[in-house]
Amino acid sequence: MRTKAISLVSTAALVLSVAACGGGEDSDSVTVTMWGGQAQEAHVKSYFTPWAKEADVSIRQDSPTDYAKLDAQVKSGKVSWGLAEVEPNYAKSACDAGKLEKLPERVVEAAQKAEIDPAQMNDCAIPILQYTFSIAYNTDKFGDKHPTNWAEFFDTKAFPGKRGFWKYVTGGIFEAALLADGVAPDELYPLDLDRAFRKLDSIKDDIVWYDTGDQQIQLVASGEAPLVQAWNGRVTQAAKAGEPVANEYGQNLISYDQIVIPKGYKNAELAQDWMVWFLENPQAQADDVTASGYGPASPQAVELVPADVQPDVAGGAEVNEQSAALMNYDYWAENYDEVTKRFNTWIAK
Amino acid sequence: MSLAQTTGRGGAGRRSARPSRLRAYFTVDGWGLLILPLVVFLAVIFVVPLGMLIAKSFTDPTLGLDNYREIFAESLYLKILTNTFVIALSVTAVTLLLAYPYAYLMTIATPVWRTVLLLLVLVPFWTSVLVRSFALVLLLRDTGVLNTIAQDVGLISEPFPIMRTMKGVIFGMVQVALPFAVLPIYATMRNIDTRLTKAAQGLGDRPSGAFWRVFVPLSMPGVAAGLLLTFIQALGYYITPAMLGGPKNTMIGELIVQQVSTVLQFGFAAALAVLLLSTTFVLLAIASRFMNLERMLMGRS
Repeated sequence: MRTKAISLVSTAALVLSVAACGGGEDSDSVTVTMWGGQAQEAHVKSYFTPWAKEADVSIRQDSPTDYAKLDAQVKSGKVSWGLAEVEPNYAKSACDAGKLEKLPERVVEAAQKAEIDPAQMNDCAIPILQYTFSIAYNTDKFGDKHPTNWAEFFDTKAFPGKRGFWKYVTGGIFEAALLADGVAPDELYPLDLDRAFRKLDSIKDDIVWYDTGDQQIQLVASGEAPLVQAWNGRVTQAAKAGEPVANEYGQNLISYDQIVIPKGYKNAELAQDWMVWFLENPQAQADDVTASGYGPASPQAVELVPADVQPDVAGGAEVNEQSAALMNYDYWAENYDEVTKRFNTWIAK
Repeated sequence: MSLAQTTGRGGAGRRSARPSRLRAYFTVDGWGLLILPLVVFLAVIFVVPLGMLIAKSFTDPTLGLDNYREIFAESLYLKILTNTFVIALSVTAVTLLLAYPYAYLMTIATPVWRTVLLLLVLVPFWTSVLVRSFALVLLLRDTGVLNTIAQDVGLISEPFPIMRTMKGVIFGMVQVALPFAVLPIYATMRNIDTRLTKAAQGLGDRPSGAFWRVFVPLSMPGVAAGLLLTFIQALGYYITPAMLGGPKNTMIGELIVQQVSTVLQFGFAAALAVLLLSTTFVLLAIASRFMNLERMLMGRS
C-alpha cells in the first residue's frame, strides 16, 4: 500500500511539473519584442501604449529580438512573439523562407498613404524607424577639427586614436571602407569585398570592436576610441545626457529597422491592426523621435518633430542631404552568411 | 543508484524468490521511486538536450560529417580551440597559485581574520559575473582607472594595454574562478589534523619538511577538486573573454554563440560544442592516467 502511495505521489508531482511548463496567450493581447533598453521603453510608450488604450488590447513585452528564438518558435508552431523588431536583411530572408506573415492589402495601402519608401518595405515587413551609421567623435579630443567623411575617418595619421566599429557585417563597416577608398556612393553595391578588406587591413591594429549600443557610447565618451562608426540616435541621446560626444553626418549611411509578424502568430490580425494604426499616425512616430532619438518611418512625421531636433533626424532633410547611401539589405540578405563567415575569420586572424 | 536496490521492502522482491540478474538490476524499491522526478528532471534538462545536440551536429543541415569537415577545413577554428585550452590552462595555473596560499592563510588565521578572508572570496562570488566584468573594463581599459593613475603618477607615458589582450582575459577569468578553487581547497585543509604536522616535527622533521611532506599531500583532494572545477569552467567562459579580450583571444564559447545567434548555424555550433566536450574528455582521460583523479577527489582525510 505504502509503495503505491509513494509512486502515486511521485507520478502526480511529475505530471504537475510538466503541466506547469505549458502557457497560453490571451485573445486580446499582443507581445512586442524589440532590442530592449531605453529605446524599447520609448518605442512602446509612443507606438504601443496609445494604440492599446484605443483598441482595448494589452501589450506584453519581451526583449531582445533573437532570430534563433524566432525561428525556433515558428518551427515548433508555438509562436509567442506577435510583433518583432528585426533587421531588414533578416526580414527578407525569413519572409522568403515563409517564416513570417505576409502583409495584408490594408497594411500595404496604409504604407503607401504614409509615403513609406518602397525600398524600406518587403512582402512581410514595414519599417519602424530609421537611423544612420555615421561618424561619432569625442568632442574633448577633436574639438576644433574632426573627420567629416570616411576617408578622414580611416586616416589615423591626421586623426590619431583607436577606431570603433560594430563587430557585425551589416553595421556599415564595408560601405564605409569602400567610400573611404574612393568608391562612388552609387556604385557601392554589390560590395567589392576584397577591396573593403584591403582598406580595413590598413587600420586593423587600430580597430576596437563593440557589440552593443552602450559599448559604442562608452568607447567614444571615455576616449578609449575617440572615433566610432555609431548609430546616430544613441549618440544624440548621450550628447543630451552631457557626454562629450557628437554626430558627424558627412557620408552617413541610412539604415532602418523593420517590424514583422512571425508566421503562425495567433493574434496576427490584431498585430496587423497595429501596423495600420502605426502607419496612419505620424504624430506617434514624431513623439518617438523626441523620446528615442531614432528617425521616423514615414517622411510625413518629420515635419511634426520639434525644430531643434530636426537636424538629427534620420529621414529628415538635413541628414538625408549629407547621406552617401541607403543600406541595401537585399544585398545583405543574400550575402549575410557568407560575408559573416569571412568577416569573423578575418577579425580573429 | 538506488534504482537498483533489491532490499525486501518493495513488492517486487517478495514475489519471486530468485530474480534473475537483469531483473534484479531493474527491480525498484518503493522508496527508490521517490527519485523518479529527479531522474526525469535530469533526463529532460540534461540527457535529452545533450543527445539532441550530438544528433544535430551530424544532421543539421545535412546528414553526415560536413560540420566536422568544415571545422577542420578552416585552420582558424582549430586555432580558437587550441586558444581555448591554452587560456583555460593558464587560468587554472594562476588560480591555483593564488588560491593555495590564500586557503592556507585562512586555515591558520584567527577566527576574525578567517571571516574577513572568507567574505573577501564570497562577496565577489555572489556578485553577477557581468557586473564584475564591466567593473574590470572600467579598471583595465586604456583610459581606465589603473592606466590613468599610472600615467598621472608618471610610471608610464603611454597607456599600458591590458584590455583586448590575453593578460586582460586571464586577469578577469582568474578573478571569477578564484572562489571555485579557494573554497574546496580550504574545505580540505580545514579537516587536516594539525597534530599530524606537529607529530612530523616531533619525529624530527623541519617545519617546512612537515608542511611539504605531510600537509601538502593531505590537501591534494582539495587541489584536485579546485583544479577540475576551474579548468572545466574556464573552457566554457564566454562573457569575460568577450568583454576583456580582443579578437585574437576569441574562445570557443564566443564562436559558438556567434554561430547560433548571428548566422543561425545550429549544426555547426553543435559540432563545435561536441568537439569541445570530447576534447575535454580526452584530456581528462589522459590526466587520470597520470594521477588518480578519483582517489584525489574522494581523498583519505
